[in-house]
Amino acid sequence: MTVAEWPLVGGVYDDVGRATRALKEHLKRLGVDVGAIRRALIAAYEAEANVVIHARRGTMRCYFGPGQLDVEVEDEGPGIPDIDLALREGFSTAPLAARELGFGAGMGLPSIRRNSDRFSLQSTVGRGTRVAFSVRYRPQEGGVVVGHSVAVEAARCQRCRRCVRACPVQAVRLRDSGPSILEHLCIDCAACLAVCPTGALGLRGRSDAPAVDGGTLVVPDALLVQFGAAVRPADALAALERLGHRDVRTLEPWERGLRAAAAERARANSGPRPVIAPFCPAVLNLVASRFPGLLAQVAPFLTPLEAARRALQTRPAAFVTLCPAQRSSLTSTTGPGAAELVAPTSLLREMLGVLVGRPRPTVDEAASPVAAPTTAPAVLVATGLRHVLRVLDEAENGALGDVLLLELWACDGGCFGSPLLREDPAIAGHRARTWSVGDGPVAPAEPLAVERQVRRGVRLDPDLSRAVQLLGEIDRLARALPGRDCADCGAPTCQALAEDVVLGRAMLAACPHRPVEEELR
Amino acid sequence: MVAKSLSEVAEALGARVVTRGSGLAVEIDRVYAGDRISDLLERSSPRTLVVTNLASRPLLRLADLMDVPAICFVDGKEPEAEVIAAAQARGTVLLVSPVGVSETCGRLSRLLGEGEGGRS
Repeated sequence: MTVAEWPLVGGVYDDVGRATRALKEHLKRLGVDVGAIRRALIAAYEAEANVVIHARRGTMRCYFGPGQLDVEVEDEGPGIPDIDLALREGFSTAPLAARELGFGAGMGLPSIRRNSDRFSLQSTVGRGTRVAFSVRYRPQEGGVVVGHSVAVEAARCQRCRRCVRACPVQAVRLRDSGPSILEHLCIDCAACLAVCPTGALGLRGRSDAPAVDGGTLVVPDALLVQFGAAVRPADALAALERLGHRDVRTLEPWERGLRAAAAERARANSGPRPVIAPFCPAVLNLVASRFPGLLAQVAPFLTPLEAARRALQTRPAAFVTLCPAQRSSLTSTTGPGAAELVAPTSLLREMLGVLVGRPRPTVDEAASPVAAPTTAPAVLVATGLRHVLRVLDEAENGALGDVLLLELWACDGGCFGSPLLREDPAIAGHRARTWSVGDGPVAPAEPLAVERQVRRGVRLDPDLSRAVQLLGEIDRLARALPGRDCADCGAPTCQALAEDVVLGRAMLAACPHRPVEEELR
Repeated sequence: MVAKSLSEVAEALGARVVTRGSGLAVEIDRVYAGDRISDLLERSSPRTLVVTNLASRPLLRLADLMDVPAICFVDGKEPEAEVIAAAQARGTVLLVSPVGVSETCGRLSRLLGEGEGGRS
């Protein structure tokens, strides 16, 4: 059992919460479930406030057990003459100075009691008060469930089920209310957006072009090769400048920096092969949820997008994002900081407006190819989740011992394959390579500060024996279903419906071709 | 309720952005208005915008504790320098709405769909 103790001083209202803040750090490091952390913090804060409001001094002592936090808050103060009265909501003896700051609503002790699993209060008038409470906790379930950036506009859905079938991690279901995303499975790739014919699935947030306010605009390289054979990336950059964006950057320097650092790491690697270079955030999400065993093989650097955000943190910057995963990685509270986000759709339109009518170079002049093979031979590059999944499978099986480094991208052709862009990825990628100046500025790779965490992913239950039992039930039910994977029920496969039913996410009645009850027995 | 970014919130309120924290792209989907620490403690979340008259350092500490991304003060009242400094240090976004608590909440509920009003 670990013990921690913090002193509390009466009358210093600015300090209320200081000890509780330290407690929070302890609980987070223990990896306690978020619900327990919240309850413990509310109770501890109220207990701490009581000491500061009413007493001369006190201490908060915390005992961290294997399944429970015990907190004792003792003070030297006036004591409580009538404990029953003190436990009544709304009763308070706090001084005016405390009330002016919002304290002393008479909710403190009742709130401690409400937010704890065990509560006791002893007080001697003229001596002091001792509040003790316990909060039971368990390990945070299978790592983090991270917010995703796929927006659902159910009113536009025509119930075609393309998204249900397209999702590479089977995270989409079609419910009566429209498409629904199982957040613990979703890796924020763009597969569902790409197939949605009506825009019912899209990128969260605003899609209008950023206000021009002298800030930096960061654009993906792919954005600059969307305008046909005669418009070079340099011309597209000039168009952005004519639209008022004076400081436009591409992610290229950060990609180069990461490529170099990851290659260096792969050369020096004495651990399991291959090293995975952290380029595409959706691929990282996939590794964290489907292939947690490979997480240690991901080179410990920020993605190019995260590194760019870190580098530009001190100035107003807007980022053009091409997929939900990019968007999430910029809005994540654990990442290197959020930024203004811009979806490319309307920006592309504006750029086209500027580019139309400009004097065009002849195609011959524009396409003067520069040979620019950028990847070293030992790097295995795979794009498109169909291939990425198979490559990761092989890596997990230890079958890629001949590969030093993996560079994986969720979309076909990398970011050139974003469904928010218009040009075919093969053509756009070709043009980008043709016009690439080969080498350019390199931004050094940023080391990862906070370890990448395992996601809950497909794990059925944190308790292994319970998970085994659930698996058995799911298999039994799946075998009884027709097995045509027709998706009429709104789940992508019979297996997925079976899992939904066993885990209480769907009713068996959703299957229009279901077997009669007797067959299930 | 729909999620809105803090930049959309600031725009809808006509609010002044006093500190930008880690950026205005952070989204909220709840609003809680109140002036009692105990209420704010129980109702805050990482997706909550707190609307309050309590422009104090203890409030900023509470926001930090409960991972509140943004606080909106009301009536156009500029927070004191020490409050701004505390917000900057913790990366909390501070907004100042030009109108009072109820009108601020009215505008927010129009923005977010439906509102959950708190005691104030």
